[in-house]
Amino acid sequence: MINYNRFTLENGLKVLVHEDRSSPLVAMNILYNVGSRDEDPELTGLAHLFEHLMFGGSVNIPDYDLPLQMVGGDNNAFTNSDITNYYLTIPSDNIETGFWLESDRMLELDFSQKNLDTQRNVVIEEFNQRYLNQPYGDAILKIRPLAYKVHPYRWPTIGMDISHIEKVSLDQIKKFFFSHYAPNNAVLSITGNINIQKAEELTRKWFGPIEKRNVQNRNIPQEPEQRESRTLTIEKDVPSNAIYKVWHIGPRMSEDFYTLDLITDLLAGGETGRLHTRLVREKKLFSEINAYITSDIDPGLIIMQGKLMKDVDIQFAEESVNEVIESLKNENSLKAEIEKVKNKFESTTVFSNTNILNKAINLSYYELLGDPDQVNREVADFRKVTQEMVTATALKYFIPSNCSTLYYKSTRKD
Amino acid sequence: MSKLQRIQPPIFPVKKVVIPDAVAQRLINDVPVFMIESGTEEIMRVEFTFSAGLVNECMPLLSSTTNMMLTEGSMRYTSEELNGLIDFYGAFVNISPEKDRAGIVVFFLNKHIDKVLELSREILFSPVFPEPELNALMNKRLRWYLVNREKVQNLAMDNFFESVFGKNHPYGHKVSEEDFKNLTPSILADYHSKYYQPENMAIIVSGKISSNTIDLLNKYFGDIKSLKTNLNHPVRILQAEKEKKIHIEKAGTVQNSVRIGSATINKRHPDYPGLKVLDAVLGGYFGSRLMKNIREDKGFTYGISSSLTSLDLAGYKVISTEVGQKNCGRAIEEIYKEIRLLQTDPVNSSELELVRNYMSGELLRMFDGPFALADSFRSVWDFGLDNSYYYRLADKIKTIGPDEIMHLAKTYYNTEDLYEITAGMI
Repeated sequence: MINYNRFTLENGLKVLVHEDRSSPLVAMNILYNVGSRDEDPELTGLAHLFEHLMFGGSVNIPDYDLPLQMVGGDNNAFTNSDITNYYLTIPSDNIETGFWLESDRMLELDFSQKNLDTQRNVVIEEFNQRYLNQPYGDAILKIRPLAYKVHPYRWPTIGMDISHIEKVSLDQIKKFFFSHYAPNNAVLSITGNINIQKAEELTRKWFGPIEKRNVQNRNIPQEPEQRESRTLTIEKDVPSNAIYKVWHIGPRMSEDFYTLDLITDLLAGGETGRLHTRLVREKKLFSEINAYITSDIDPGLIIMQGKLMKDVDIQFAEESVNEVIESLKNENSLKAEIEKVKNKFESTTVFSNTNILNKAINLSYYELLGDPDQVNREVADFRKVTQEMVTATALKYFIPSNCSTLYYKSTRKD
Repeated sequence: MSKLQRIQPPIFPVKKVVIPDAVAQRLINDVPVFMIESGTEEIMRVEFTFSAGLVNECMPLLSSTTNMMLTEGSMRYTSEELNGLIDFYGAFVNISPEKDRAGIVVFFLNKHIDKVLELSREILFSPVFPEPELNALMNKRLRWYLVNREKVQNLAMDNFFESVFGKNHPYGHKVSEEDFKNLTPSILADYHSKYYQPENMAIIVSGKISSNTIDLLNKYFGDIKSLKTNLNHPVRILQAEKEKKIHIEKAGTVQNSVRIGSATINKRHPDYPGLKVLDAVLGGYFGSRLMKNIREDKGFTYGISSSLTSLDLAGYKVISTEVGQKNCGRAIEEIYKEIRLLQTDPVNSSELELVRNYMSGELLRMFDGPFALADSFRSVWDFGLDNSYYYRLADKIKTIGPDEIMHLAKTYYNTEDLYEITAGMI
């Protein structure tokens, strides 16, 4: 159970505070309500590039990391399709330095050409390292535009084309900052060894004077319903064939969310998920197989991905995947398996909430979704899923016309 | 209200780390148990660790495969039943094949302690290593190996270990495709009977420890008797290879992976805490010299770091990075330049202050929460040390001076002794 206090500053900044005296540290998490879905299709990858630029100094502080490290702090950040999220942990005596740093880079960045040029190169190397220099690394770059034709989820967070990052100008950077980075477009969570009064006082002192900004209205084209199955085959010099299948699902807040989450756990949760048991252990068709939902705020995807064992026919492997998925639609003996994945979900949730940083990240995210109390209700909501809901939901989403498939074939003849 | 001055708030020195001591006990058969009470949630972590690591194996992959097969079937349960039960109780069983030790770590909600410990006994002491599961595992591992061999970072790292520890030592031996075909259930059973024995075992418990824990541990593990196998430990010498500079050509890559380093002292050596500080200055944190120069100033890479690791028979230090191919040569030059600077120019006081404070914060993070505490306990207990190592490290962080850092850089980072491994295209 995470107890928290919640308030909103006059400038619109939403704040959550959770006290946990068992840690000598305080965690601070700032979520900005901007992700790659907010980008112009002609200029993608900007939200993620920003995550890098945010460490290059702000209007009153030439270097972000140095003073933080000077007080024993540590930090990092991540970007996805929906949000850009920054966090730090710091020995509790020095928490005010965290407020000073985070409020200054919300106030205004030090927009320098040198920083932009360097981070541009760093991001290009990140792109090369993650997507080009790994076998199968580009699969996700291919599957997104297959599934999405209109919605910005069709490009990955790193960007649709690295040339966008290569050409972005300092003026475009400034414009992006002032239309997305604002107190009224952010959620701050503070957890750990700090009392509520002090957290509130420091928040008002450092974030209070930042003025509300005109945040760019979100005008995202919604993805039309997919009406026929889509396939794409690519051939590459990789050790073995792989297969990727995705199905459209509803938004994060849809009523099917926990049922779908439970379904992917039934399929691929741990050693005893159905796909693993039937296709890796019993039939030995795959060396590894996984399935998960993307948990995106706008309508997302179920993603299934598997790497085939040597000499396994890719069509046969796909039919076998389909058989396992079909079994969810017509079996009446799922009760024990459902109980198993519910128990696992409960312990995963309890474990994740032992850490002050996880708690801060979760509080910010659920506040963005509309109700931070959901963090405490998740296990109960997951437990409400019944066998009937699993069957009905599987029948609703696992249909061929809702599916896109990528065949990633090996060109090797060994 | 006066306008806020946006200047840095007062800095307070990072408080001295307080490490809860582990309470040492023994089961009735003398197996040592260490209990570290911590945390706010009703959860526990129990680690069963054996001197059963890679260093003991007489065939490649034997130690890790024996470890991975523990959950693949026992006297009472098939592999499916065993894994189904683990999942049903919401427990996590992490197998942990390491270079010096091997075992399992189980995480669970306290309400399931009895069942989880009973299952742990079954996993650790009644495995049957069924042949079909073994074959399936080896086929899978071969596929993983073939995928990993495509990645320049794995090619470079495997070669680094071979170079600094030698082809013929388990620390350095490189696995080949053939090795995946040689293991049989009886070889695994033999290895298990030698190394998964109570006299090789320790139990580390952390979390909000349930009051019946020691009774339950005695119930499930106190009656395990040693087979008293006489072990003839193979004698193998760590011997670095002669060739210092190796390139592994890999077509179709866009980045080169670089590893520069060598074998060095481990945690038992009095210079080790000082070397930790030196390592931090060079490449051990985000503000380190390598990061500042090669990522933040030149943008050659997404990341570069140095690390210092302790193994039982030796330590090693290594600088790791993946760099774009056109900048690879310049990045390597800059790495050597940074090492030489540490040998010739004293670290100035503001940088040293920064490293002291950053490392003091890291030390707090190493003991924050029940899981971190257990990891930190093991990483000194493995070397016959105790928490006094961490207090010595904390003291060294506070007191080390520029001269000592320069002296350590000269002693331990002689550039002629360093191995330089690259994988990719040049």
